[in-house]
Amino acid sequence: MEAEVGIVGAGAAGGVLALELARRGIRVVVLESGPRHDFARRGEYVRRYLRHENPWQTVPRNLDRYTVGGPVAYQLEGRRARGVGGSTLHWEGYALRLHESDFRLHSRYGIADDWPISYPDLEKYYAAAERMLGVAGTADEPWASPRSTPFPLPAFPLSYSDKLFAPACRSLGIGLHHLPQARNSLPYDGRAQCRACATCQVCPTGAKASVDLAQIPQAEATGNAQVVAEATALRLELSRSGEVRAVVYARRDRAEQRLTARVFVLAGGAVENARLLLLSTSRESPAGLANGSGLVGKFFTSHPAIDVVGRAREQVYPYRIGFSTAMSRQFAIERDRATEGAFLLEFLNSAGPAPDRIAVASGLSGEALRRRVREEFGHWLGIRVYAEQLPDRVNAISLNPRVRDSFGSLAPHIHYSLGAYERRALDEAKRISGRILATLGLSDIRSTGLSFAAHQIGTHRMGGDPRTSVVDVNLRAHDVSNLYLVGSGCFVTASASPPTLTIAALAIRAAEHIAARLRPAGASEPAAPAR
Amino acid sequence: MRFTRRRLLVGVAAALGLDPLSLPGWLGGRGRVSAVHIAQAAGPAPLAGLELGDLIAFAEVLLEGRTFSARERAALVDYIEERARDGSGYYTGLYRTTVGLLNRLAGGRFSRLDVAKRAALLMRYHLVSSDVRPGEPLGPLPEQARAVRTQTVPDLIGGYYRSAAGWAVVEYSTFPGRCGDLARYTGPEP
Repeated sequence: MEAEVGIVGAGAAGGVLALELARRGIRVVVLESGPRHDFARRGEYVRRYLRHENPWQTVPRNLDRYTVGGPVAYQLEGRRARGVGGSTLHWEGYALRLHESDFRLHSRYGIADDWPISYPDLEKYYAAAERMLGVAGTADEPWASPRSTPFPLPAFPLSYSDKLFAPACRSLGIGLHHLPQARNSLPYDGRAQCRACATCQVCPTGAKASVDLAQIPQAEATGNAQVVAEATALRLELSRSGEVRAVVYARRDRAEQRLTARVFVLAGGAVENARLLLLSTSRESPAGLANGSGLVGKFFTSHPAIDVVGRAREQVYPYRIGFSTAMSRQFAIERDRATEGAFLLEFLNSAGPAPDRIAVASGLSGEALRRRVREEFGHWLGIRVYAEQLPDRVNAISLNPRVRDSFGSLAPHIHYSLGAYERRALDEAKRISGRILATLGLSDIRSTGLSFAAHQIGTHRMGGDPRTSVVDVNLRAHDVSNLYLVGSGCFVTASASPPTLTIAALAIRAAEHIAARLRPAGASEPAAPAR
Repeated sequence: MRFTRRRLLVGVAAALGLDPLSLPGWLGGRGRVSAVHIAQAAGPAPLAGLELGDLIAFAEVLLEGRTFSARERAALVDYIEERARDGSGYYTGLYRTTVGLLNRLAGGRFSRLDVAKRAALLMRYHLVSSDVRPGEPLGPLPEQARAVRTQTVPDLIGGYYRSAAGWAVVEYSTFPGRCGDLARYTGPEP
C-alpha cells in the first residue's frame, strides 16, 4: 500500500489532518487499529452505556494491554477509545481554547516550559477548528483570550441548576460562564441538533462532533483518503537516509504488511505514539525512533479531577441532559501560577446517583424501594474540578519488557505521580467548591476521591531545541525529517482545559505545513520530500 | 470448558425446556454447583415463555410489591430479553437458575402463586435482598440462593430503574437514552 502521507490513527488529530490534506489533493492512507463503529448500532451502544458497560471496549481486549506503576495508578480503561473516530467517539465534547498564558508558563511564572508557539500564532487555527467541529458558545467568559471570529453556533442555554449556582457564585465574586462545546445547538454541517439524549459518551443522534461522522467521511468523499480499519501499526521502518520508509502494520490475520509514503504522521494518542516510537528501534536509534533527546514518552500528564457535591432540600432535576453548560475559568487564569495551580470548575447538570444506583444500593424491595428512589433522587448538586498538572520527567510512558499485546508487541507501561503543586490546587479547589455549595445552603457537602480526565498529554513535546523536545513547532520530529507527531502528546504543558480543540487546531496547522512541503506554490507535480 | 456428564444432562434439560435444578442429583440437578457453573452449563437456549413468566412474577414482588402494569411489564421483558441475547449465555443461565430455584421453593410454577404468596415465599427465603451476610443460612439450595440475591436481584432492579418504568417513578418521561425536548433542562419539571 502506498500514499503520499501515511497517518497512524483516525481520531481527533488524524481525522482532522486527513481531511485537511485530502482537501488539498494529497493522497492519504489512514491506518486505524480499531474498527469502524457502525452508527446504526448506536442504540445498542447506548443501552450498554446505560448498564455501566464500556461500549467502546477494544476487541480483542489484550490489544489494549498496559501496566501501571508509580505512586498513582493512571488507568486507561474508559479513558481512550480505539476505532475510527478515536477518543472523539466518547469525549464529552468540551471545546475550549487554551488561554494565552497557558503557552507561557515559564516566561510569566517561572515554572515548566513555554510552548514554541503562542496563542496569537494559533488563533486562526482555533477559529478553523471551531468551524470544523461546530463549537457552540458565546463570548461571556471574562478571562477568554481574544477571538477573531464568533462561535459558529449559539451557546446551549444555562441549565436549571446553573441558574442556582450563578447567584451563589456572584455573591462570592466567582464568575460563572457558558462552557463552549462541539455539539450542535442547531443543525450544523449535515449533523442533527442535540436532542438531549443524556448519553453523550455515546451520542445516538450525531449532534456531538465526532470525526467518524464528519471529517473522516468528508475526507473519503474527496477521493484522496483511504481509511484502513483494524490495521495496527507495529513499527516504523527506516530508509538508509534515516527517513521513515514504511509503517509495518498487521490486521487480524497478523500477517505483516507495509504502508509506504513520503510523509508519515503518528496520530494515535500520547500513549500509543510514544509506544510506537519506542518500538521502532534500529541500530541507529536503539532507544527508539525520534528519540535523540531521550524524551519520547517523558512528561506524561493528565488532568487530575475531583467532584465536590452537596445535598439540596429541593429537587434540582438532574439527568435531563448529558453535558454541563456552565463553568468558571477564573481559577485557571487570575492567579500567580508560580505558586497556585490552575483549575477549572465545571458546574454539573447531573450530580448524585440516578434511580438505578439508588435502587440497587437501597437493599429494599417493593413499595419501600419505590419510596426510597422517589425521596432520594434529584437532590444533589455538584462541581467537577480539573486541575493543571505540571510536566514532570519522571511521569512517563515506557515499554514493559514482560508484557505483550495480541500482536506480540511490548505493552506500554505508565509511571505516574502527582506533585505538591497539583495537590495544593485540588485542595484549594475543594475549599472554593465547598464554599459555593455552602452558599447554596446545601448539606452533606463532600468531595469524591481523586480521578483523572480522559486526557493523555505530553510524551513527545514540541520545542525549538532538539535536546529538550521531540518535535519542532510544525510538529515534525527533530530527528526524522519526514515524520510528524500530532495530538496532545506534543503539548508542552497541559493547562487545566480539555485538549481536543487544541489538538484539532494544531492538526490543521500541521496539515498546512505538510501540504506546503508536498505541494510548494506553483508546483504542478508533487515535490520531492525535504531532506 | 470441561465436558462432563452433568453438563451434558443439564444442557439437554435446558434444551428441552426443563428446569435443570429439578433433575435428581445423580443427573446433575443437586449438589454444590456455583452460579457460574450453572450459567455456563445452561447454555444459550432461549428462555421459555413460562420461565420468563416466573422471572417477571419474581420481579413484580421485588420491584413493586404488586402486579405490573402492562407498561412496567413490557419494560422489564425488554430488558430481560436484551440481556438474554448477550451472546455469552451468562444471563440466560442466571435467569434460568433463578427460575429453577423459585419453582423448587414454590413446589410448582412460581408464577401461579398470587402476589401475597409469592411475597411470603420470597420473604421466608430472604430472596429480595441483595446482601448476604457472612455465615447467613441460605436455605435448601444455598448456591442458587446466593446467585439470585447477589446477581439476579441487583440486575433486575438496575434494569428496571433504567427503563421508562423506573424513570416514571421519579416522574421523568424522557431520561438518559430517551431523547426529547432540548429546552427541558433549562427549567424545573412541569
